[in-house]
Amino acid sequence: MAAPQQQQIDLSTLSVDNLAAVKKQLDDELEHLTASFQKLRQAQTRFRECIGAVKGGVNDVNAGKTLLIPLTTSLFVPGTLSSTENVLVDVGTGYYVEKTTKDAISFYNAKVDQLTKSLTEIEKAVQQKGQNVRLVEEVLRRKALAGSSSS
Amino acid sequence: MADSQNLLQTLTDEFQNLQKDLSSVVEARQKLESQLQENKSVQKEFAGLDDNAKIYKLVGPVLLKQDKTEAVMNVDKRLEFIEAEIKRIEGQITELGTKQEKKKMEILQLQSQL
Repeated sequence: MAAPQQQQIDLSTLSVDNLAAVKKQLDDELEHLTASFQKLRQAQTRFRECIGAVKGGVNDVNAGKTLLIPLTTSLFVPGTLSSTENVLVDVGTGYYVEKTTKDAISFYNAKVDQLTKSLTEIEKAVQQKGQNVRLVEEVLRRKALAGSSSS
Repeated sequence: MADSQNLLQTLTDEFQNLQKDLSSVVEARQKLESQLQENKSVQKEFAGLDDNAKIYKLVGPVLLKQDKTEAVMNVDKRLEFIEAEIKRIEGQITELGTKQEKKKMEILQLQSQL
């Protein structure tokens, strides 16, 4: 990928068509980055919900209570928590690990932290891309004006 | 004259096909990369577990209990496979890139002749 500094030097030498193409490419990249940002955000929310569910649900308060377990989106069966100590955590690629509620919470917290880091990085990239898009737009506008005034 | 035009059209079509192939191969490479990351994180997770920790594998609608050593081996093998696939696909990407460059040269050459 071309570094932004490199393109800055070349921008003024590009024709209007080339500039438009560069702008389109930058716009596409920006869109892609923003979509990724939102997906990471959603994943982070889901992990936070997991933490909430484990903290609030799998505890001694609910130990003997009858729960309604969903079999499908409209069918529930009554059941009880088999264990208030352990939960099965999805660690990825189809593997589930039995963990204590404490370990599960720290696992999810670690995931949330990882995502926060990635989100900050993407945010930075999005800002940088946005700046580049504006720069290209500016040069494009100047060129278009210069071109139309001289013709 | 018409022949050169036709040739130009053919070359441009071939170039666009190469472009399509390149983007689908790049997409495959990205998918592999995300699988690699996922498996690496599972590997790390397993490394931190006790030997008697209970691990279950999701096979279809069923969770099967798995031995830790077996699960670790499984994930390691998967990682090896993915890394080999990534190398192969990167080779394809470079090859397509070179083919694309050549095609571009051919097109430019033909355009300058017209």
